[in-house]
Amino acid sequence: MRRMASESRRSQMLRGVLDLCLLAVVLDEPAYGYEMTRRLRERGLSTVGEGSIYPLLGRLERDGLVATHRAASDGGPPRKYYSASPSGRRALTEGVRAWHDVRGEVDAVLATIEGEVAR
Amino acid sequence: MTAFVEECRQEWKRLGVPNLLAEEMATELESDLAEAEADGVSAAEMLGESDPRRFAATWAGERGLVSERPQPGRSRKRFWIVLAAVLVLGFVLGFSALVFLATTGAHTTGAPPTPVPLFVGVKKHQAVVLARANSLDPAVIRVPGRPRGVVIAQAPAAGARVRRGSTVLLRVGRG
Repeated sequence: MRRMASESRRSQMLRGVLDLCLLAVVLDEPAYGYEMTRRLRERGLSTVGEGSIYPLLGRLERDGLVATHRAASDGGPPRKYYSASPSGRRALTEGVRAWHDVRGEVDAVLATIEGEVAR
Repeated sequence: MTAFVEECRQEWKRLGVPNLLAEEMATELESDLAEAEADGVSAAEMLGESDPRRFAATWAGERGLVSERPQPGRSRKRFWIVLAAVLVLGFVLGFSALVFLATTGAHTTGAPPTPVPLFVGVKKHQAVVLARANSLDPAVIRVPGRPRGVVIAQAPAAGARVRRGSTVLLRVGRG
């Protein structure tokens, strides 16, 4: 029960920054959908149980934050590749700044609690 | 796996997503799911959603591909706005009419207007009787013209609505 509750909190917290994570993994090199999931996992972020990345990608596409093109994958069928557009890069920079601000503010409040729990 | 994608296709069709785009999404999903499976990742893990229809609707919606249907809420709101406008207009017109009536005809004679009969073609003495019977004041002018002793022109015209007691001008032929 407690485990479920913590997972749901994790989902809620990720929901606000998952779009930034998606933009981050296609900042330097375009990727297709599953490849993005894989890149997230390689960097230590599992999106399992966080809901699909596709609706999020759809929103980024609609808002013009990602550009798309079709290209052949390594030996596989042609895939739809996503890459960060110029406005996507701007959104990512602003988003990361906001994330750092929030993280700092929340840490400042929660830091003392962490100490008490550890004792 | 293909069953999941197939259900997505049907949902996109139902939602009116253009065929080309629906096919693009289906292909993308199919390739990704196949690759995930090869990695040992199940569709449920990959998509975090077991209901294909809900998944398809969310995706297409977020991409902005679901055509805007007339929202029931919005059209109901528009209905109330139109109704309110009609009622306000009705009140304004009704009130204006009341004010107009109160400041014109009604307050000068206190009686409703009366229609002017057709006098043309009627003999002079009959025309006079007819005018008085209709609460009008006949003013007879003899003018050159025929037939003699018969009204050949009138003012106001027949059918005009005038206040009771108004004068009607009757031109009677002198022959």
